[in-house]
Amino acid sequence: MHIALDPRTKLYMILVVSMVVLMTATTPFLWGVRIFMTMVPIILLFIEKKYASAIRFLIFYGLALVLTFFFLSEESSGILTAILIGYCGIVVQFMPAMITAWYCVRTTKIDEFMSAMQKMHVPDGIAISLAVVMRFFPTIKEEYGAIRDAMKMRGISFGDGNALKMVEYRMIPLLFSCVNIGDELSAAAITRGLGGNVKRTSIIELKLHLWDILLMMLFTMVLAVFVYCKYFG
Amino acid sequence: MEKQNSIIEINHVSFKYKGSTEGLLTDVNLSFHQGETVLLWGASGCGKTTILRLINGLIPHYYSGDLEGEVIVDGKNVRETELFNLAGIVGTVFQNPRSQFFSVDTDGEIVFGPENIGLPPEEISKRKDTVVSEMKIERLLNRSLFELSGGEKQKIACASVSALLPEIVLLDEPSSNLDWNAISDLRESIRKWKEEGKTILISEHRLWYVKDLVDRVLYLSEGEVKKEWNGEGFRNLSETEVAELKLRPTSLEEKYIDAFTDDMGQITSKHISEKEGAKSEDSSTRSADKEEKVILSEFCFSYDKKRSRRKLSKCIKDGNKEVCEGLQLCIPNLVLPEGKVIGVIGRNGTGKSTFLRCVCGLEKRCPGSITVSGKTYSGKDRLKLTYMVMQDVNHQLFTDSVKAEVMLSMEKEDEKRCDEILDRLGLLPFKEKHPMALSGGQKQRVAIASAIAAGAKLLLFDEPTSGLDYAHMKQVGDMLRNLAKTGSTILVSTHDPELLALCCDEVIHIESGKLVR
Amino acid sequence: MNSSKLKAKDFITVGIFTAILIVVEFLCGMLGYIHPYIVASYVVMIPLVGAIPMMLFYTKVEKFGMITIMSVLIAIIMFVLGMGYLGAPLIVAAGVIADLIAKSGKYKSFKKTILSYGVFCLWICANYFPVIVTADSYRTDLLDGGYSAEYCDDLFRAINEKTIAVLLILCFVFGCIGAVIGKKVVKKHFEKAGIV
Repeated sequence: MHIALDPRTKLYMILVVSMVVLMTATTPFLWGVRIFMTMVPIILLFIEKKYASAIRFLIFYGLALVLTFFFLSEESSGILTAILIGYCGIVVQFMPAMITAWYCVRTTKIDEFMSAMQKMHVPDGIAISLAVVMRFFPTIKEEYGAIRDAMKMRGISFGDGNALKMVEYRMIPLLFSCVNIGDELSAAAITRGLGGNVKRTSIIELKLHLWDILLMMLFTMVLAVFVYCKYFG
Repeated sequence: MEKQNSIIEINHVSFKYKGSTEGLLTDVNLSFHQGETVLLWGASGCGKTTILRLINGLIPHYYSGDLEGEVIVDGKNVRETELFNLAGIVGTVFQNPRSQFFSVDTDGEIVFGPENIGLPPEEISKRKDTVVSEMKIERLLNRSLFELSGGEKQKIACASVSALLPEIVLLDEPSSNLDWNAISDLRESIRKWKEEGKTILISEHRLWYVKDLVDRVLYLSEGEVKKEWNGEGFRNLSETEVAELKLRPTSLEEKYIDAFTDDMGQITSKHISEKEGAKSEDSSTRSADKEEKVILSEFCFSYDKKRSRRKLSKCIKDGNKEVCEGLQLCIPNLVLPEGKVIGVIGRNGTGKSTFLRCVCGLEKRCPGSITVSGKTYSGKDRLKLTYMVMQDVNHQLFTDSVKAEVMLSMEKEDEKRCDEILDRLGLLPFKEKHPMALSGGQKQRVAIASAIAAGAKLLLFDEPTSGLDYAHMKQVGDMLRNLAKTGSTILVSTHDPELLALCCDEVIHIESGKLVR
Repeated sequence: MNSSKLKAKDFITVGIFTAILIVVEFLCGMLGYIHPYIVASYVVMIPLVGAIPMMLFYTKVEKFGMITIMSVLIAIIMFVLGMGYLGAPLIVAAGVIADLIAKSGKYKSFKKTILSYGVFCLWICANYFPVIVTADSYRTDLLDGGYSAEYCDDLFRAINEKTIAVLLILCFVFGCIGAVIGKKVVKKHFEKAGIV
């Protein structure tokens, strides 16, 4: 089975999820709704065959839930518990949004994204910049990996215990690399016509399919139920 | 003379980059005919790239500087034409495959250009299909660009340029980061463009792969066209003539490729014996300490995280023959001569880089150990014994001066020793300079200086000569020899047969993670 | 060539530096899992660490709009990363004001750059908005759930409607300090290497 969602549906999912995570669940039913909502992007990740990240999220979120409900509800003190509470609190509260975001970012192509932005009348400049941000995360990861290796070889990973040095040794080569890559990237992009005054076209035709509509309805319902039960129920 | 069918005209152009003395041009006059394939040839900094940038409009629209004269491309004055209006006419393939793609996925990258110039979607799809089938890149579709090898990325870059159907194709040292197979693919792309009647300009150091394609060759030096040949005349140049121009041989590399890919064993031994003859005085002086060996054992590695260090090690000790199956690297035992330069060859993606990473201890899960002068180093100790000069040396320079860079590697700061090391590598004049302000070769030497300062005995080099012209390549070769003379053992992974010929005492060949001697 | 309109190159520059800034923010954010007080100390860490790339970015800014777009991007990314949309007005407002300040110094004046970066750093406080907004219910929930009052107190003592003013000021102050340090680093490395 393959479900290719429209980027706009994904954005809507993010919108709903990030609204819901701002409202704490107070009853078991609301917790149920929240957990249900979190499962949707995890299932979607499975469908996209991103098993590793889906399972990682599932375990992470599940663990935090279990810990919160069964182990940390006693009056507990101590540094370790405090850390754990803080940790689980944040995970349980905000993880759903993280998972949804992860799903959307990993499964959206830059091309798709650009045409969705165009359809929503976002200015070209912002669309280009955002596309570069998405393109650059993996690059930063690659470059940083190489720099970390180089630091290991030099034995300066901890900058002699000096925090400023630690930051400097990582940041400086990274910035040099990024500036260089950025320069070459710009040159390559503009010789292929980026930033022209013609309207950009796209071979990806964005259309809301059945799945998009179903998911949008589902998420609207989740939001409605949550708000109703919490404030009026 | 034949102005009527010339597609590119460069008239009395002088150019100087803002704040730089390199790559400047003085009163250049050139014209290129429709459908001709021209090679721009010359040492780095001679102005090759600058000429290409004049044609694709990056000068003056992206790189600023003092520009005089005019450049006319397909009837348009480049100075007055916006870059995006040139996009459908001039296509450029750049040097670095890593930095020239805008998308994250291959499909998006191929259609990137046509979408930018606003072609109707049906037309773009049609072009994409044509390009994909012509370049035979079906298996690259629908993949993340970050997973592709350098050669595959360069193919996508060519496809992306093709999809714009430009009249003119410029290639700026496109083979710098590619292995032999990928270069052959690149040659096919160029041949196809030539058949389609496109005008092609190639700036390149490596000549063997383009020499059969070119109609005209321009030799540049110090921003001027010094010599010109037609294709035939160029192919008939003798090796001595080429050597006089301090350029890379036109055919040597080809010979090596045939040799290395056909019958590895024979050629290596032949190659080595030739060397032995040439360096007889070397070997006689060293025969006394011939016993000194560097022993690498248990260098096995798998990206599969379940294959932990202990498990791998145990498998090898038990003599389990199946153990090599499915490993990215499996070299149970390897004896290398100390104080020599050892070339590591093999196709891209066959384990060369993994081997180097394991040797220098970057892969923790590799159980390998290194024995030098009776002392065995394994695990983290390998990091102290070895040092790798990475292909992109920019990643390993951290401080704000060459001196500080060397001092950082010393356990106790010792300025005298620092000066000694710098002097040996010819870096003393640059002691206070920022490493990033130096040229590529100088940066490489700074990295080596810090390795020596740290007391590394085993130096590893990952493709040290990719993208270098002949003179710089020779410099690297000489330096490697000198380092070996002072007692360091050197492992150099390379695709550069000239470098192998120049400085390697021994060559090991890695194929699918295994050693083929 | 000197038109004040932003070009593709500028958009790409903005994109790159935004990506770097987000990575910095994210890495600092990871530390926040350790203890709520660290969450509060974002206002110190992020302005200081982020100053290095930002000062390099400022050397590349010559036209109005680049800093504004960066703030819009950050707002969008914070939204996508699940930090909600509540902080968006603050982020964009900080960006526009920072841009205007820098513009008044023609993107050259260092004093204006310091001020501009200080204001820009206010966006970091948008990170706290979800905690503040959900504070009431969040706190009751935590207590109902039997969490130690100690932790709740820690968290809400550090972050609430009253301290947000202090946090905003801290952001600005450390932004200015960061700008000075960042400028030094840029001089030490990038100017010396001839990159800017």
